[in-house]
Amino acid sequence: MRVFNKVLIAAAMLAAIVSTQTTVSQAAEYTGPPSLLDEEMAGKMPGVSERLPKNPRVVNLKAMGRKPGKHGGTMRMLIGKIKDIKLIPIYGYARLVGYNEKFELKPDILEKVDVKEGRIFTFYLRKGHKWSDGHPFTSEDFRYAWNDMLTDKKLGRSGLRPNLQVDGKGPVFEVIDETTVRYTWHAPNPQFLPALAAPIPIYLAMPAHYLKQFHKTYQTKEKLAKLLVKNRVKKWYKLHKRMAREKKASNPDLPTLSPWVNTTPLPADLFVFERNAYFHRVDENGNQLPYFDRITMSVGTGSLIPAKVGAGDADLQARNLNFVDYTHLKSSEKRSKYKVLLWKSGKGSAVTLLPNLNVKDPLWRKTLRDVRFRRALSMGIDRHEINQIMFYGLARESGDSMLPQSPLYKEKYQKAWAEHDTKQANLFLDEMGLIKRDEDGYRLFPNGNRVEIIVETAGESTLQSDILELIQDQWHAIGVKLIIRGSQRDVMRRRAISGLAVMTIWNGLDNAVASPQMSPSELVPSSQSDLQWPQWGMYVSSKGEKGEKPDLAPVVEMLKSAKRWSKAATTQEKTKAWQEILEIYSDNVFSIGIVNGALQPVVVKNNIVNVPKEAIYAYSPTAYFGVYMPDTFWQSKPLTK
Amino acid sequence: MFAYIIRRILIMIPTLVMISVLIFTIMEWPPGNYFDTYIAELEAQGEAADLQEIEELRKEHGFDKPPIGRYFHWAFGLLQGDMGYSFEYELPVNEVVGSRMWLTLLVSFVSIFFTWIFAFPIGIYSATHQYSWGDYGLTFVGLLGLATPNFLLALIFMYFANIWFGVSIGGLMDPEFKNQAMSWAKFVSILEHLWIPVIIIGTAGTAGMIRRLRANLLDELQKQYVTTAKAKGLHPFKALTKYPLRMSLNFFISDIGSLLPAMISGAEVTAIVLSLETTGPLLIRALKAQDMYLAGSFLMVLASFTVLGVLISDIALALLDPRIRLQGGSTK
Amino acid sequence: MTTSQQIPAPGAEMEHYVRGGEFDPKSVEKLTPEQEKVYLASQLRLMWWKFKKHKLAVWSGVFLLLLYGSILISEFLAPYGLNNRHVDFIHAPAQSIHLFHDGEFVGPFVYGMSYKLNMENLKREYTVNKTQVQKLRFFCRGESYRFWGIWKNNLHLVCPAKNGTFFLHGTDRLGRDVLSRMIYGARISLTIGLLGITISFLLGISIGGIAGYYGGMADMFIQRIIEVLQSIPSVPLWLALAAIMPVTWSPIIVYFGITIILGLIDWTGLARAVRSKLLALREEDYVLAAQLMGARPSRIIGRHLVPGFMSHLIATATITIPTMILGETALSFLGLGLRAPITSWGVLLTEAQNINAVALYPWLLFPVVPVIMVILAFNFLGDGLRDAADPYK
Repeated sequence: MRVFNKVLIAAAMLAAIVSTQTTVSQAAEYTGPPSLLDEEMAGKMPGVSERLPKNPRVVNLKAMGRKPGKHGGTMRMLIGKIKDIKLIPIYGYARLVGYNEKFELKPDILEKVDVKEGRIFTFYLRKGHKWSDGHPFTSEDFRYAWNDMLTDKKLGRSGLRPNLQVDGKGPVFEVIDETTVRYTWHAPNPQFLPALAAPIPIYLAMPAHYLKQFHKTYQTKEKLAKLLVKNRVKKWYKLHKRMAREKKASNPDLPTLSPWVNTTPLPADLFVFERNAYFHRVDENGNQLPYFDRITMSVGTGSLIPAKVGAGDADLQARNLNFVDYTHLKSSEKRSKYKVLLWKSGKGSAVTLLPNLNVKDPLWRKTLRDVRFRRALSMGIDRHEINQIMFYGLARESGDSMLPQSPLYKEKYQKAWAEHDTKQANLFLDEMGLIKRDEDGYRLFPNGNRVEIIVETAGESTLQSDILELIQDQWHAIGVKLIIRGSQRDVMRRRAISGLAVMTIWNGLDNAVASPQMSPSELVPSSQSDLQWPQWGMYVSSKGEKGEKPDLAPVVEMLKSAKRWSKAATTQEKTKAWQEILEIYSDNVFSIGIVNGALQPVVVKNNIVNVPKEAIYAYSPTAYFGVYMPDTFWQSKPLTK
Repeated sequence: MFAYIIRRILIMIPTLVMISVLIFTIMEWPPGNYFDTYIAELEAQGEAADLQEIEELRKEHGFDKPPIGRYFHWAFGLLQGDMGYSFEYELPVNEVVGSRMWLTLLVSFVSIFFTWIFAFPIGIYSATHQYSWGDYGLTFVGLLGLATPNFLLALIFMYFANIWFGVSIGGLMDPEFKNQAMSWAKFVSILEHLWIPVIIIGTAGTAGMIRRLRANLLDELQKQYVTTAKAKGLHPFKALTKYPLRMSLNFFISDIGSLLPAMISGAEVTAIVLSLETTGPLLIRALKAQDMYLAGSFLMVLASFTVLGVLISDIALALLDPRIRLQGGSTK
Repeated sequence: MTTSQQIPAPGAEMEHYVRGGEFDPKSVEKLTPEQEKVYLASQLRLMWWKFKKHKLAVWSGVFLLLLYGSILISEFLAPYGLNNRHVDFIHAPAQSIHLFHDGEFVGPFVYGMSYKLNMENLKREYTVNKTQVQKLRFFCRGESYRFWGIWKNNLHLVCPAKNGTFFLHGTDRLGRDVLSRMIYGARISLTIGLLGITISFLLGISIGGIAGYYGGMADMFIQRIIEVLQSIPSVPLWLALAAIMPVTWSPIIVYFGITIILGLIDWTGLARAVRSKLLALREEDYVLAAQLMGARPSRIIGRHLVPGFMSHLIATATITIPTMILGETALSFLGLGLRAPITSWGVLLTEAQNINAVALYPWLLFPVVPVIMVILAFNFLGDGLRDAADPYK
């Protein structure tokens, strides 16, 4: 068997020498995984050199401080609901351009990206790159995605995403040749590349050869009708949409560029993802990645997952594990032969209080918009106590802001109005005229009502309600009564949007390790799901048709800075815009953060190599495991049970 | 006899109709619907919802019209065996529920079986040895099973089963077998995991059954014909089994009617805790997400099973007890 | 006849025996005062005597009375308040009460605890400090509270020593005393059952009464309704109903909502029992007499028929209360019943419903003990009541 492989490789080498020179290629000899050898023998699959593009992406593990590995093994993971299989495309993190561990944008699927004036993007594909079913990956796939999906009358009905538009205009798309495409805007579009590197990216390339059968333009009426009946759908574009759901990994037949491909149709309790034989990355020794042959995801009850992980049912797991489970997980380390790593959460704050600046009640509207009130509330919180009780003192007390790992971090943002200073807080509230107090010590409004804030929670996290209880006591000292109202996620959101909720509690900034290249949209009104200013967000996302126009001066300033960022062509300009926004945001305490850098347990079986011991765990921008390249994790030897 | 069966079946129909109306009302009651929840969830994840697609889905399933239309649409679908469409899974409900259904039935029936097997001898013993230590002791143990909340037992059992016996936590089978077709090894694995849920679900039913059997049997044993039989020298065992026991058996069978829903309910909660591949966890997720057809159809199916179960038990009872046949009514 | 007596010879004289004194024809039938009491006793008294025989039921009754009584003085009984946090004693294990220290009788006390955070596995480790003797105080002044939410006071039955701790059942993740929370939780858990059963009762008697008394169409209709409600498995029905309840309701209203749900679903059993009893009893002569005398049906049902089997009903009801308590526990566990900040045993158990509690902090599972005991008590009480309900048997 090995001999045959060597023959193939020799042939490939000859072919490589004879054919046109390729560019950088550190190893002309490639090794494929042994699990595919049988198929290669049977002629069902070409040899590894044909499966790889002429110029695969070489991942130099030694340079990353990791160990090059060998093929084989199954990685078992647990999920709490079927929808979570969408995590595999996220973990796989095969992107046109992607972030590396230093959060720099680098081409991944693409061989090269040319950016001129920040508005002309030329993509160079890798020659010979193939989809997971062996069909060539070419500019036709880009064209199909653009013309027949994103801008198609039916499929692209809701219009282009905001990050594909500049001043409301989309780009001009051109196919230069079989392996080159170009997108041209009239003005710089700094959101474009980060959108391609997002955990759920914009898919600019889709397998045309597969999807054409579901498209009205390319399929005969009769065959299409048959397909519609077979899949119990009434309209062709609905069928197309369902079949093309790359991000959900729900269609096993859909060819992909991800390192692992789903082979189990829904619904099921166990999903098996097999390796993509045509994956475009290799290590410095020429081994085709990924190392792991297979990932399995077992569906169960989410709350049971810590118990199952403790019993050894998972090889790599972070999802559904919380900090409170750490002690139990650690105590089972020997028995179940794994190690518990502690990564740092990438959120701006583990939980954050969001005063609703669009609240309908006029009294609260006035009060919450007064920056002194927000500052007082923030200073009335004893973050140290919360850190000690909930996080064993291991988190960092901070406002809802950037982590030190971000190049935009400044200590003053972290500390802005976040020191525990009840004296100053009381001074602010007295200044505002809330001097009268009732017999329990709570302040009264001029109309005699108690200063009582009802904080609504989504009822999903005991961490949130526990912290609220601690804050309840702390705010007594500044005369503010906190009432906790447990609710449900969508009800809470609806109430925020409709202005009925005075304050909500939710996670902090999603991406607190931002670099200037990334969009600052989280810090300014951008959609109706922003709990602190849903109406302003709706205004911005609907371009003025719905919602309320932002009328608070600092917010207007931030929006202006955000606009400047979206037109910026250089990194300096982007950084400046960011810092303006961060400055205003933290000084105005638009969301009250508590602690960040909280610890996330990650369980790794003892025989899995190359998982970083310390890292940032976040959805955006690190795509949970994605940025750390799970395709380079490998299994050293099977564990004895 | 025949007439009785026909009558019973005919009566079943309006019952089922009323159940369906009740379930439908419950499903429709909360404000908002699946789509609002879905949009909120998408926004929470920062994804734009394709509002137009959702509008179309809304229209397609009749959510822009009054509820009556939707009810008939659903009811007629049910009659044809089509349980509707699950918005959450974007699949027909039949497919979503499919494989889990038979596992649910398996767990429920094995639990009922277990209950019978245990309750029977214990009940008889209790009745014949009234007020003895055995009686008190067994009653106490049975009651203990009744009194302890299912779900708590479940978690504790599971944890210790894992530590002491190495049984994998949760689920009805080892993970490897999940997608495979039925095989001997898979069957064995299911049996290995089955005993925890069955014990937990069964103990509650067992206690109740023991007490009822005991009470019924005691009633019978006090009747004069038993004294007569004993006086005439009939062996005590025969005196017990030939007459009083047969009378009490009636109630065993008629009890299926109340046992079945109890089993299925108990099974639901336990299934959620133990993460069994049955329909319990599905149901609660559907209820929370307002996935109307999935939850509603499912409740309907459960209720139908119960009604069917009652029907069967009534017929069985009629077969067993001539008095019922002749009088045309059950002695419940 | 004494065997020592010889049979006299034929024709010989026989001994006579004539009793003196008065002749009372009823002497044989005369009752002793005790026996007279039995026959003259009212129905209730008979029931009480029969009930007393069932020792287990009596003790259960006493236990339940005490428990319900404790609801009135929860604030006084609990060593700590409901939400008192002790940030230095998070997840502290249970402290046992000792009487003897170093061989000397000291009185009830606990040993002090010292706390260390194990940085390796982030476990809070508590070591008992046998040199620190913390005597418990009784009838002491402790944390202040509002008695029934109105009067400020701070008298407690038992308090920890000054600067000491008394965690009989350990503390939870925020350092709150489990025992105190259990005592307060009793308020909610025990009363939910009572309220629910009241609703059940009222519905059951009225609906069952109508069905049994009038028979015919009304009966058929009601029977169908009962069948419908009994056919839907209760837990899914609870889930559905609880999922309906608007999440924005305040906890108190949610509480009442839950009791109503539990009561609404449960009345069928009672109605059935009432109906069958009425069907049998309405043929009795005294009912006919009342009808002839012009009594309205409601009076007949309420004044004549129902008291005849009230005892049965009470017995059945008593056995249903545990179902309600379990129902509340299950609902809270599934996140659809009561939630923090309301504390019931169900809510307490939910907080213990994870692997960390089972594996590391098992004392959090303690609230299951009162649940079990109350349910058992109600069952035994119900048994005793049922046995006593028909004293003429």
